[in-house]
Amino acid sequence: MFKRLSDWLDDRTGYRHLLEEALDEPVKGGARWRYVFGSAVTTAFMIQLVTGVLLMTSYSPSSSTAWGSVYFISYEMVGGWFVRGLHHFGAQAMVVLLFLHLLQVLIAGAYRSPREVNWWLGMVLLFITLAFSLTGYLLPWDQKGYWATKVATNIMGITPVVGPYVQKVVVGGNEYGNQTLTRFYGIHVGVLPGLLVLTLAAHIAVFRRHGVTAPEKATGSDPFWPKQVFMDTVASLAVLGVVAFFAIAERGAPLDAPAEPSSSDYPARPEWYFLSLFQMLKRPEFAGENEIIGAIIVPGAIVTALFAFPLLDKIFPRKLGHFLACSLVFALVGVAGLLTMQAWKEDAANADFQVTRAKADVARKRALFLAGHPEAGVPPEGSRYVLLNDPLYAGSSVLERKCLSCHYYDGKGVLERGHDGKMVMTKQIAADLKGFGTRPWLEGLLANPSDAKYFGSTPQLSGMAQWKKTTKLKPDELKTVTDFVAEFAKVGDEETIDDWLSRNEISEHPGLELFKKDCGRCHTVDAEGILGEGGEVEAPNLFGWGSPRWVRRMIRHPNAADRYGYLEEKDQMPGFGQTELSDREMSVLIRLFSGQYVPDDPATAAAGH
Amino acid sequence: MDGSSLTPTSPGTDRRTFHKIASVVFGSILGLVLTIPGAAFVLSPVLKRSGSSGDSGADDGFRPIAKLSDLEEGIPRVFPILGKSTDAWVRYPEEPIGSVWVIRKGKEVTAYSAECPHLGCAVGLGPDGNSFYCPCHTSSFGFDGQAKNKIPPRGMDSLEVKLAASPSGDDPEILVKFLRFRTAVPEKTPLV
Repeated sequence: MFKRLSDWLDDRTGYRHLLEEALDEPVKGGARWRYVFGSAVTTAFMIQLVTGVLLMTSYSPSSSTAWGSVYFISYEMVGGWFVRGLHHFGAQAMVVLLFLHLLQVLIAGAYRSPREVNWWLGMVLLFITLAFSLTGYLLPWDQKGYWATKVATNIMGITPVVGPYVQKVVVGGNEYGNQTLTRFYGIHVGVLPGLLVLTLAAHIAVFRRHGVTAPEKATGSDPFWPKQVFMDTVASLAVLGVVAFFAIAERGAPLDAPAEPSSSDYPARPEWYFLSLFQMLKRPEFAGENEIIGAIIVPGAIVTALFAFPLLDKIFPRKLGHFLACSLVFALVGVAGLLTMQAWKEDAANADFQVTRAKADVARKRALFLAGHPEAGVPPEGSRYVLLNDPLYAGSSVLERKCLSCHYYDGKGVLERGHDGKMVMTKQIAADLKGFGTRPWLEGLLANPSDAKYFGSTPQLSGMAQWKKTTKLKPDELKTVTDFVAEFAKVGDEETIDDWLSRNEISEHPGLELFKKDCGRCHTVDAEGILGEGGEVEAPNLFGWGSPRWVRRMIRHPNAADRYGYLEEKDQMPGFGQTELSDREMSVLIRLFSGQYVPDDPATAAAGH
Repeated sequence: MDGSSLTPTSPGTDRRTFHKIASVVFGSILGLVLTIPGAAFVLSPVLKRSGSSGDSGADDGFRPIAKLSDLEEGIPRVFPILGKSTDAWVRYPEEPIGSVWVIRKGKEVTAYSAECPHLGCAVGLGPDGNSFYCPCHTSSFGFDGQAKNKIPPRGMDSLEVKLAASPSGDDPEILVKFLRFRTAVPEKTPLV
């Protein structure tokens, strides 16, 4: 039955002849392990094809969704981390194997007549593969891919005449964003696979025409099936084994924090096999106007030389040509190796790099933690906002950039480079903002207003210290007043004083009278003086103290009459308008003070970062 | 296929057989290492249950949709269901995630999912104003939820309703437990 069916199929398709053609292809000089590299590269490509198509079913190429979808693949989907890990390390395996294949062909002299065309096809395959890795690196739209791609496309832009146009077309404009991603994605999953399959088919066809380049003394011959197939399969399995090992050992592929175009100190590094080129550009020989030499001319010359290898025989005696070709490649490998080592060493010895990388790791861990947290997640605005909306991460960053030159947070200012070049902590001249507006902060203030944490370090702010000396409140009364003042933090944005006072819990609060008698001597709250007439010593209006609206006004208009307008101008806090502090920054700051955020990941907190 | 015209470098059928078997075995392992995780990856939505969209709102799943006084006797009204939802990696804040038809008879309130039990289109009011009607394949239902033609496999999917007394007393809040059901089958089966 099976025989009849296959006979029929063969009659209609001629598949047996095709199969025999493929499998009985003679391997001149016998099957050899050294012939496995071509197949190994092909296997690596097959791994990329399978895992790539799988990833395509879950990846979403846009600047707002890419990172989130890659997060989802890596951390939420079943087997996602493994599929992505295989793709990530498979890509590197492909580059390595391609290079080994190239070396084997070079040493065997297989690039020479009559196989010139196949050498050139191989070169084309090498560039397609490098283009794959360059475009793929960007797709997660994480910090690493974003900055590395920015550098790579800017190098592209150095090319004389066409450079800027090519760059603009590839990037999809001047800004890196949705169009960059969709273009890179289209190139990565459509253009390059098509080109690679066509070129690979041609490469194999031409290879079959000329066969392997057997060693001179080799005699006999094996059919391709089964001995060479066996060797090729063993090699392929080894490739997959190594790739799977790395995928498992590294628990998938790395994912950095979402791309943040406003980062000021992200230490971008290319994939390791581009490190030698990267290091070369750092050399003084290629600085400034000479950049083009390092970025375009040297790599271009190397490529041209590689392409010209088959033609060396036309100029030099056969052996000398081969010797020159091999020498050049080994010299290149040596130099590239040295440069790569240098790049690693420099980074390892560079304290600034370590600091910025550690900072980037804090962002990465926080982003991954938040993306998977039930109370956070990736917001609809886009993956960037995982961090931008996070009070702990973005709020701390706003603090550092805008507040800590005067204020402290949790006992610390920021490190600044002093006159002698050493890093010194800024001097505290305003309150410590950790927990500002919360009940513990208030308790601390009322217990010891002249502590550096509160108003002790702020010039002129002595009112509360005077109060502390003169107040007649007993401890239990002080607690009641504290309870009452803590109520201010719950004042809503739309609430008026009358609305608030008509709330039962306020009008019947035992602290109301105490507040009026003691705090109301200086702090005015309402025009009618229900909560005290104020005026003894100048003081800010406390209505809503600690609520978002109070803090917002304090930051935007610190010098208003109801805030600290009474201070001498030189000691006033500068106001932060919309241009200095966006609404989003304001919101994360307020939520940071009031503690409304997802706490630090216990795992990373325990690691003491 | 036996390569007799060639001079094999390693004579002996034993070795040939080994090469053949080993090639097939190794090749299969290679394939399996790719296809098993690949299949798991594609089947992720089936293998993982937590990936459902729409959270359950309050702990018991009941969500407020309207006041009893919003409904006139016997006249159905459609209300959006508000809820937080998760769409793969995106977490949405509270916004409409579905619609329900609500109809009142005295103090009794009935709610129907506005998703047609036939193939999931949105059910609206019929042109006569006296029935529910799906614009996709003309499924028709009475205000009692029963199918009025043969197109839908079952009547409209009723949802659990609770009336919660309001602080002021006589105008209770209508709470509905919103669920989605399998379409195109006679039984009403909740999707989990």
